Amino acid sequence: MIARLSLTARLALLFTMGSGAVLLALGWLVAGAIEHHFEELDHAELTGKLEHARHLIAQVGTTAQLERLAGPLGDAFLAHHDLVVRVLGPDGQVLLATPGVQLPAQVPTRVAELDAAPLWTWTQDGRSYRGLAATFPTAMATQVQVAMAIDSGHHDVFLRTLQRSLWLFVACSVLLMGLLGWVAARRGLAPLRAMREQAAAVTAQSLDRRLPAQAVPEELADLARTLNEMLERLEEAFRRLSDFSSDLAHELRTPISNLMMQTQVALSRPRDADSYRDILESNAEEYERLARMVADMLFLAKAENGLAIVQCETVDLAREVRDLFDFYEALADERHIGLALTGEGVVQGDRLMLRRALSNLLSNALRHTPEGGRVAVTILRQEGQLLLKVDNTGETIPAQHLARLFERFYRADPSRQHASGEGTGLGLAITQAILRAHRGEVSAASEGGLTVFTLRFPF
Amino acid sequence: MKILIVEDEPKTGDYLLQGLVESGFVVDLARNGVDGLHLAVSGDYDLLVLDVMLPGLNGWQVLETLRRSGKEMPVLFLTARDQVEDRVKGLELGADDYLVKPFAFSEFLARVRTLLRRGKGSMESTALRAANLELDLLRRRVVRGGQRIELTAKEFALLELLLRRQGEVLPRSLIASQVWDMNFDSDTNVIEVAMRRLRAKVDDAFEPKLIRTVRGMGYVLEAP
Repeated sequence: MIARLSLTARLALLFTMGSGAVLLALGWLVAGAIEHHFEELDHAELTGKLEHARHLIAQVGTTAQLERLAGPLGDAFLAHHDLVVRVLGPDGQVLLATPGVQLPAQVPTRVAELDAAPLWTWTQDGRSYRGLAATFPTAMATQVQVAMAIDSGHHDVFLRTLQRSLWLFVACSVLLMGLLGWVAARRGLAPLRAMREQAAAVTAQSLDRRLPAQAVPEELADLARTLNEMLERLEEAFRRLSDFSSDLAHELRTPISNLMMQTQVALSRPRDADSYRDILESNAEEYERLARMVADMLFLAKAENGLAIVQCETVDLAREVRDLFDFYEALADERHIGLALTGEGVVQGDRLMLRRALSNLLSNALRHTPEGGRVAVTILRQEGQLLLKVDNTGETIPAQHLARLFERFYRADPSRQHASGEGTGLGLAITQAILRAHRGEVSAASEGGLTVFTLRFPF
Repeated sequence: MKILIVEDEPKTGDYLLQGLVESGFVVDLARNGVDGLHLAVSGDYDLLVLDVMLPGLNGWQVLETLRRSGKEMPVLFLTARDQVEDRVKGLELGADDYLVKPFAFSEFLARVRTLLRRGKGSMESTALRAANLELDLLRRRVVRGGQRIELTAKEFALLELLLRRQGEVLPRSLIASQVWDMNFDSDTNVIEVAMRRLRAKVDDAFEPKLIRTVRGMGYVLEAP
């Protein structure tokens, strides 16, 4: 239940409950103290009266005097409106009693303990009484028991009134506190609402918006920063996604327009069977390229999102390179390019993906190596990393191209676009994505007629 | 060999039908899952080509029902979604192979032939022959017209593949995967080069020419 309440309501509720408890305790304390005070007052009064009675009783020397005792006692006590008295003689005879009130039988308290004796209470005919009793000796060494009680009704009325006002006060205060708490919580949470409004303004078109981490209280700054980081990641992913779509559309446009044109020109007038065959064959090649590009793009998208690592196993890099050399041997032989491998090493990863990454590097190197050149692969350990270098002789790549080589569809030489045998322009981007999926990285350097691609694996 | 195609996309279905018929198969085509299942259960097919996304019953359901009814013919899945889970699901349900659209017809045909050959207990012959070309698997020797030809290990494997699947057009991707174990398309013309070198050794100095390039599709070895 409480989990569903708004933060403001929750704070206000907690505030109200807290202050309510404090006020209730205070009211209880005040009421208790006053009641105790009344009790002490009654006690003092009864003790005084009993002292007076003892004084009168102590003067009784004869039986006759005892019988007349009711007179002075009555004068002393019966006039008091709230006081109830009963005096019993040595034989238990009633010497004096307030009419109409029946005091309960009571064990008398000895005089010496009068001050410390507890008051007894009882209720009769809807009135409450507090009483005290004592036995006093007469001059004849007989005992006279005196019991007195005070009608505490007016105290009770006062207490009830007081309590009623106290509870009313507590209730009003609690309501007020609730209201104040709500206002305070609302004001206190204003930065949070501001953040919410900011967050609500973030859409796909305005992913560059950030929450004001500097302008919010310390407690929220962390949250704002975390949310901002999340936004940054989303923006980056979103940007990649839209780049991906526009790249794809752009790259597909050329081959599709070629296909369309070629087919329409072919259809514009009758031709012989060989021409048709020729056109269809050319189209088939183009389609194949398109299909490969789509497959590559999808693979790249999956690799970039880290989805493609199907299984992790120990991969012997030297063996992979040798297998790839086997594959590319014919190509290298034909152009008199030497292939060389030194070193060895193993990494943990997806064998098929790593093979693909290496294959892309090798085919790229072979493509850019002039006839009679060489491609060398070196595997070595360095500073806690496993390095695989692919270097090839050939034209030095200008520095401004180096960093961008791993971008999708980037070609250092624009005129070579779509040359026959040319790849989809995604090979190095795929290599980079695969390396990143393996928490590694790839870099390129080129100088003095030697181009080096370096794969770094965490070790 | 009787093949059933279950494919709802009209053009894809028509072209698969035409392609397979022209390659010498007997082919039926169903346009939805319900008809497909009915035909598959009642007819006697050697192979089922099944699209995943179908109206009525989808490919998974067709396959499941089919396997429950005791039909054990091989199934080749066609899917437009290249998701690992999809492949795993298909293979778990008892599919034998899958192809992701778009695919080349030559690739499709090669897979179909592989599946049809499977389970037929291909006889392990020790020698393969086409016209006057002979390949001795045991001694790993190639002789053409009585003349010994020296081949590298990979060239030998390539020629063996072409001979084993005489008359079939083999797409480059299949060649790369069967001979070099490279299960992805290389962005180079390495297969062309390898094929050219093989032909230089095996075909150039001899008649008749056996290895032929089929533009846009792949390579085929056939005796005229």
